[in-house]
Amino acid sequence: MAAVTHLAQYLVSGLAAGSLYALVALGVVLLYRSSRVLNFAHGDIATLGTFVAFTLIARKLPFSLAVIGGLAAAALVGALFFFLVLRPAKEASLLGKIVLTIGLALLLGGTVQVVWGTETLVFPFPLSELRVYRLGQVVISEMNLGTIVIGIVLMTLLYVLVQGTKVGLAMRAVAQRVDAAQALGIPARRIYALTWGLAGALGGAAGVLLAPVVYLDPFMMLDPFLKGFAAAVMGGMDSLPGAVLGGFLLGIAENVFAGYVSFKFKTTMAFAVIILVLLLRPEGMLGRVYHRRV
Amino acid sequence: MGRIPQIVVSSNLLERYQDDLYLVKGAPGWAAVVFLLVGLASLPFLLPRFGLGYLLFIAILMAANVIVAVGLNMLVGFTGLISLGHAGFVAIGAYASGLLAAKLGLPWYVAWIGAAAITAGFGFVVGLPALRLTGPYLAIATLGFGIAVYQVLVNWTALSGGRTGLPVQQLSLGIAGLTPTQQLYYVAVGAAVLLSWIGYNLARSHIGRAFAALRDSDIAAEVTGVNLLWHKTLAFGISAAYAGVAGAIVAQALRHLEPQSFTFLESITYFAMIVIGGLGTVSGAIIGAVILTLLPHYLSGLKQWLPVVYGASIILMMMVEPLGLYGRWIRIKLYFKAWPL
Amino acid sequence: MRSLVRFAVALAVVAALGIPAIGQPAERGVTPTEIVLGTSMPMSGPASPWGMGVGGGMDAWLRHVNDQGGIHGRKFRLLIRDDAYLPPRAVANVRELVERDGVLAIVSQIGTANCYAVRDFMVESKTFWITPACGADMWAGMRERNRYVFITYPGYVDEGIYLTKYGVENLKAKNIAVFYQNDLYGQQGLLGVKRGVFAARAKGAKLVAQVSYEVVDVEVTAQALKLKESGADTVILYGAPRQSALLVREIAKVGYRPTLMATFTLLDPMMFALAGEAWNDIYLTSYMPVLGTGDARVDAVLATLVRYNPALARLSFNAAAGVSFIEPFLEGIRRAGPTLTKERLVEAMETIKNWDGEAIRGVTFTKESRQGINRLFMVRSERGQYTKLTGWYTYARKF
Repeated sequence: MAAVTHLAQYLVSGLAAGSLYALVALGVVLLYRSSRVLNFAHGDIATLGTFVAFTLIARKLPFSLAVIGGLAAAALVGALFFFLVLRPAKEASLLGKIVLTIGLALLLGGTVQVVWGTETLVFPFPLSELRVYRLGQVVISEMNLGTIVIGIVLMTLLYVLVQGTKVGLAMRAVAQRVDAAQALGIPARRIYALTWGLAGALGGAAGVLLAPVVYLDPFMMLDPFLKGFAAAVMGGMDSLPGAVLGGFLLGIAENVFAGYVSFKFKTTMAFAVIILVLLLRPEGMLGRVYHRRV
Repeated sequence: MGRIPQIVVSSNLLERYQDDLYLVKGAPGWAAVVFLLVGLASLPFLLPRFGLGYLLFIAILMAANVIVAVGLNMLVGFTGLISLGHAGFVAIGAYASGLLAAKLGLPWYVAWIGAAAITAGFGFVVGLPALRLTGPYLAIATLGFGIAVYQVLVNWTALSGGRTGLPVQQLSLGIAGLTPTQQLYYVAVGAAVLLSWIGYNLARSHIGRAFAALRDSDIAAEVTGVNLLWHKTLAFGISAAYAGVAGAIVAQALRHLEPQSFTFLESITYFAMIVIGGLGTVSGAIIGAVILTLLPHYLSGLKQWLPVVYGASIILMMMVEPLGLYGRWIRIKLYFKAWPL
Repeated sequence: MRSLVRFAVALAVVAALGIPAIGQPAERGVTPTEIVLGTSMPMSGPASPWGMGVGGGMDAWLRHVNDQGGIHGRKFRLLIRDDAYLPPRAVANVRELVERDGVLAIVSQIGTANCYAVRDFMVESKTFWITPACGADMWAGMRERNRYVFITYPGYVDEGIYLTKYGVENLKAKNIAVFYQNDLYGQQGLLGVKRGVFAARAKGAKLVAQVSYEVVDVEVTAQALKLKESGADTVILYGAPRQSALLVREIAKVGYRPTLMATFTLLDPMMFALAGEAWNDIYLTSYMPVLGTGDARVDAVLATLVRYNPALARLSFNAAAGVSFIEPFLEGIRRAGPTLTKERLVEAMETIKNWDGEAIRGVTFTKESRQGINRLFMVRSERGQYTKLTGWYTYARKF
C-alpha cells in the first residue's frame, strides 16, 4: 500500500516539475522551428523577466500587473536581441548564432547579478506552497496544483495561437520556408521578432511559476533550462505537442528514478533515457522525419 | 552547418604543384616558424625577468585549451558534427592520466599516451549515436555524455576520489635547472605545437578531405566512397584524444583533480572558442582558444561585472566577425600584402 | 607559411598583452605606507553569495581600519579577483596576485576544490594564507609545511561529531538521518555525524538514512519522502541555505516533524525569510557570537560594514564571517610592530593567545598549531531569532 502511495506522490511532483519543463521546452521549440537557433539564453531571459516581476511586486503593483510587466520585459529582451544582434549578424552561421546566444546568456545573467545581487530571495505568490490538499496519503500543495493547471492553460493558449490564428499561420509559414512566406507578403522579420518575444514570455511564465517554489536567484533557471532543452529534443525539436510530452515524461521519469533508485544519478538517468529515445527515433518522439536527398 | 568560405591568398606566385603542398612555404615562412619556436622556448626565462612568471601558468592553461579547440574544431569545423560534452573528454583524460601514473606507477609520458588512448576509445563510442543524430539531437546526446561523466566522477569515489579529489603526481623531465612550472610549460606548449602541426597536416590529408565531404553532405560523401561509420567515429575519436591530452595537462597544472573543473559550462566555452576563432581552420581554433583563455583572466579584477563584460565581448566579436576572428586576420594580412597600393 | 605565420602573430599578440605589468619591489606586499593583500573568490556565478559576502565584508572592514589610520601608519589595499568557483581560474588568480602584484597574504579563499588546487603553490611560495574557508582536514599531517597558514574556521567533521553528541545527550536523538550536499562540505559533515553516532552507539544512536542532493538541484521532494520513510527522529542538515530551506518546508508539507539540527553555515538570518515558519526550533552550532543575539560588539561590526557597503546588509552572515577570518591577522600585524617582515609577523602571530576580536573570540596560535579556534556552542532558532543554549564546547586540535 505504502508503495502505491509513494509512487502516486512521485507522480504528483513529477507532473509539477514536468509542466515547468514543458513551458521551457515550448519556448525552445518555438525558436528552433522558426529560425533553427538553439537559444542558450532562454533561461536567462526567463530569469530576467522573473526579477522584473519581483521588483514590480516590491513596488506594490498588483500581482497580475507585475507578472504581466515581467513577461513583457522578457518578451522585449527576446525581440530586441533579434533586432539588435541576430539580424545585423545575419552572415553568421547557425553555430555562430548559437554562440551569440551564449554571449547573451552571460550578459543577461551578469546583469541580473549586478542589479539584483546574488542572494536567494522569496518570491511572493498568491498560491501557497505550504497549504496542502490530501488525497488519502498523497499530498499536493496549492502551488503545485496551480503550476500544473496554469501550465496546461498556457500550453493550450499557445497551441490555439499557433494552430488557429492568422498570426500562427504566418509563424508556421515562416518556419517552413521563409523566402516563400516573404513572397506572399508575410512580414518575416516581424514574425521572427514576435516568435522571439513569445518564447521569452513563455520562459518568463515558467520563471514566475518556478520562483515561488524554489526561491528566486539569478541561477534558478540553470537546471530547468537544461531539462527543458532536453525535453524539447526528446519530443522533437519542431513539434509543440512533442515538447509538452517530453517535458511531462522527463519530469515524471526523473522523480520516480530519484525516489526508487538514486538521487545522485538523477540527471544522468534523464539524459540516458533521452539518448535511448533518440537512438530509436532520431527526430524525437513526435518530430517530423525528413527524408534527406543529395 | 553553415558554409565556410575558403579565402585563398597567394603570397607569391607558385610555379609548381609541389610548392602548394608544403605546409611552410619559402624562407619567410621558415623564418616565422623559427622565430615562433624560439620565442616560445625562451618565454620561461624571459617572463620571470620581468616579474611575469605567473603568465607561464596561464600559458599552460592556454596550451591545454588550444589542444581542446584544435581537436573540437576537427569535429565541428571539419566534419560538421557537434559536441557540447567535450569537458567530459577532458575530464576522462585528466583522471586517466592521474590514475595511470598513481595506480600503475607508469612514467608520465606513458600515462599521457594511455590517457589519450582511453579518451579516444570513449570518443569512438560517443561517436556511434552521431551516425543517426544530427544538429540539436546530437548536441543533447553529447551534452548528456558530459553531464554523465561529471556525475560518475562525483559519485564513484573509489575511482576518482569523488569530491575529496585526486592528487596528481608532478611530472619531471629530469632537468635540474628548471622549476616544475617551467618543465610543465615545455611539455604543454610542446604538445600544443605538435598537435597543432598534426592538425594542420591532418586537415590536408585524405582524412581531412573525407571529413569535409561528410560535413558538406554525408550522403554524397558515402556515395563517393567515404566510409560513414569509420570517419564519423574517427572524427570523434581524434577529437577526444586531443581533449584527453589537454586533460592530462590540466591535471598537471592543478595537481589536484576535482569534478568541478569539468562542468557543462566548460563544454560551452570550448564550443565558443572554435566559433569565435573561426570554424574549419586550425589557426582559427588557436586564436579562439587563446582569446577565451585570456579574456576571463584579464577581466577577473572586474569581480561581479566579469560576466557582463565577457558576454558583451563575445557578442561584439561575433557581430564584427560573424565567421570568426580568423577572417579579420586574413584581411589584415591582405591589407599589408597589398600595401602601399 | 600562411598557417604558421598566423600562429606566430597570435602568440605575439598574447605576449604583448602580458607585458604591461612590470615587477614589484623586494619585501613582498609591504611598503612604509601600504600593505597589499589579495584574494580569489567566486564573485560571479552560483557560489557568488559567499564571495560577495566574505570578500565584501573583508574589504569593508579593511577600509574601516584604514579610516582609523591603518596599522603603524600603513593602509591596506585588498585586491579581489573573481574565479567563478573554478579551480583553474583560482590558481591563475592566486599566482598572479603573488607573483605579479606581490601581495603579503592571500586572505581567505572559498571552495575546497579551489583550496586544494592552490595549496601546493601557496606552501612553495611561502606566502601567508589566512583562513581559507574549506575543509580544515586539508592541513592534517602537514604540520611541517604550514608555517604561513593561519586558520580560524572550524572543520565540519568536528562540528558533525559535536552536533550528534549534543543531539543524543540532550534531545533524545536515536535514529539519526543526514541531509547533505553532495560535495566535500556535505560529505565532511556526514563523516562527522557518522563518527558521532559511532561514539554514541552505547546510548542507542543509529544512522538510519543519508540523503544527498546535487548543488544544482532545485527540488528536494524525493529527498523529503526518503527521510520520512526512514523514520528518523532527528535530521541533521548539511546543505546550502536554499536547499535546506526547501527541505524543511517540504518535510513540513508531508507532515513529518523530526528534531532538526543544522551546521553553523545555516545560521544565516536569510533562513528565516526563506523557510518562514518552518525555521523554528532548529538546533545549530556556532563558532562566533551570532548576530542579533545581544552581543553588542559583533552587532557593531555589522553596522560598520553596512556603513561602508550597504549591500552587505543582505549578506550579513557571510560579511561578518569575512571579518572573523582576517581579524587575527590584523592583530598579528599590530603586534609585529612598525618594522614588518614575514618572520616577525609569524612570531607575532604565534603570540596570539586566547585573544578576542570584535567578531571572533578565543583565538590561539602556537609554534605547533595553526588551528586558531577549536570550540563551538549551540544555539536554537525561536520565532525568527536565535538564542544561545550552551557554553563553549572544546575539541582537540588537529594541526
